Amino acid sequence: MTRYAMVMDQRRCIGCQSCTVACRTWNELPMDIIYNPVVSEGVLGEFPEVHQTFTPLICMHCDNPPCTICCPCKASQQDEDGIVWVDETKCMGCKVCVNSCPYGARDVNHDEGFVRKCTFCKDRVREGEQPYCVATCHQKARIFGDLDDPESDVSKLVNRLVTERFFEELGTDPQVYYIPDLGGVK
Amino acid sequence: MSHKMDTNKLEKHYWIWPIAWYLFLGGLGGGILFAAGILDMVFHAGYILALGVLFAVACLGIGSMLLIFELGQPKVFLRVFLSATAIIKWGACLLILAMGFGFIYFLFWLPPEWNLFWYPWLWIRDLCAVLMALFGLCVVVYTGVLLSTMKAKPFWNTPVLPVLFTVSALSTATAALALLAGMWPSYEYILAMIGSDAMAQAMAGEVLHANKEVMMEILHIADKILVIAEIVVLLLYVLTTRASGNLTAKAVALEWISGKKALLFWVGMMLCGLTIPFLLYQLGGVGAEYVAPVLVLAAGLLLRFMIVYSDRRRSMPGEEQYYRRLPKGDERFLQGWKAPY
Ligand code: SF4
Ligand code: SF4
Repeated sequence: MTRYAMVMDQRRCIGCQSCTVACRTWNELPMDIIYNPVVSEGVLGEFPEVHQTFTPLICMHCDNPPCTICCPCKASQQDEDGIVWVDETKCMGCKVCVNSCPYGARDVNHDEGFVRKCTFCKDRVREGEQPYCVATCHQKARIFGDLDDPESDVSKLVNRLVTERFFEELGTDPQVYYIPDLGGVK
Repeated sequence: MSHKMDTNKLEKHYWIWPIAWYLFLGGLGGGILFAAGILDMVFHAGYILALGVLFAVACLGIGSMLLIFELGQPKVFLRVFLSATAIIKWGACLLILAMGFGFIYFLFWLPPEWNLFWYPWLWIRDLCAVLMALFGLCVVVYTGVLLSTMKAKPFWNTPVLPVLFTVSALSTATAALALLAGMWPSYEYILAMIGSDAMAQAMAGEVLHANKEVMMEILHIADKILVIAEIVVLLLYVLTTRASGNLTAKAVALEWISGKKALLFWVGMMLCGLTIPFLLYQLGGVGAEYVAPVLVLAAGLLLRFMIVYSDRRRSMPGEEQYYRRLPKGDERFLQGWKAPY
């Protein structure tokens, strides 16, 4: 089995937004839609030990996604390998899924009418390539792979390092793992 | 580009006024079907409430139309029945069933002189009264459940919300019934059935008039109780979200209590929408007959609007700052960069 997941190494991210721009180009996104913003927090800490945190965001491709069961049209769906995506031709644009995603990973362009979201670049990934944002990240801060393969980078990182996930208490089981910028080995 | 670009995803409202109306009309229509069905079963008051039932069916129909027109791709709408799990799908089914049974029920109250062939089949009418009450209540509850199951929206995600919507829907429904009671079909319906004996007609007319008075009294008392219940549940709703551990829910509740929605909440909802109607009902007269029900209806609509626009999502760390920095109002500038190829 394959379970695609992503690890965000916040120790490496410098907040350059290359991944954001790359995604917009590859997926030819409308002007008002962003799949993967890089947000920042800071300055944190007390002088002189100050730091800033960069958090690359993306759809978490949750293992228990609230955004697929709520779709009345079966347009929002999850594949065997964990990738959550929307079939544009089947989406009626009711926006229930947009409202039910706790991570703000979905959006609608008014002129298009259907819901858009990150697909982990499933067309690339299934050809054996990396998602475009991962391929673009010169800091190697976005790491992508198969969590069910013990030899993959993502499983090694998730198993050996302290990682965090957002809003775990909601039970969505998000599959994007964050290595905090001050984090390290378990 | 015709419409304004909204880049702040945290402040963007994905559901806007058509959904607020949809929730209001769904609650109102469903509530009327429920109340009229029950009152007909208990008091055999169908002839006083029949117009209300037609109105309810129209409400549900208009509400559904609003939802469909609000869709991004309305042409795909029929796919709505494919899913087994989606709450919206259950809502659509319940709406259709409630509308259908309500309409069949109403068909029995068409003018008697039309002599339609189904008039003698009274068991169908009574069956429809039961079914429309059942599905009407389901529609009412559904409008609350639709919002309250969304974990992503802390202010909606509480079991108090469906209770609040149910109480509010029933109070608006009772108010609408009180406004419409006895307007149509007129007493001629019953009088025609009695025959041409003038004496009997006069007596029956009096009885019917008295019945209408009693029904109005019942509706007013019911609405008084429902308004009080709504005040309690509404306070409970806002105070429990205010006290909840979720910072976003708390912030939105504060907006209601003392922030930018406070005036609408305290003066609009609490005072004009609930307290004053209660006093008017208490005083009786024209105020109770016309003003109070209208205020209750307006409060129901206001409540749906306030809730639909309280759709804040919890921010990811740093997200708020990010969206605040994105350009606003630069649509034309950005559009100008569109490559010519
Ligand atoms: S992050 Fe949102 S859109 Fe992505 S799978 Fe989870 S709930 Fe669905
Ligand atoms: S907006 Fe589209 S994908 Fe989302 S729930 Fe509605 S039909 Fe499904």
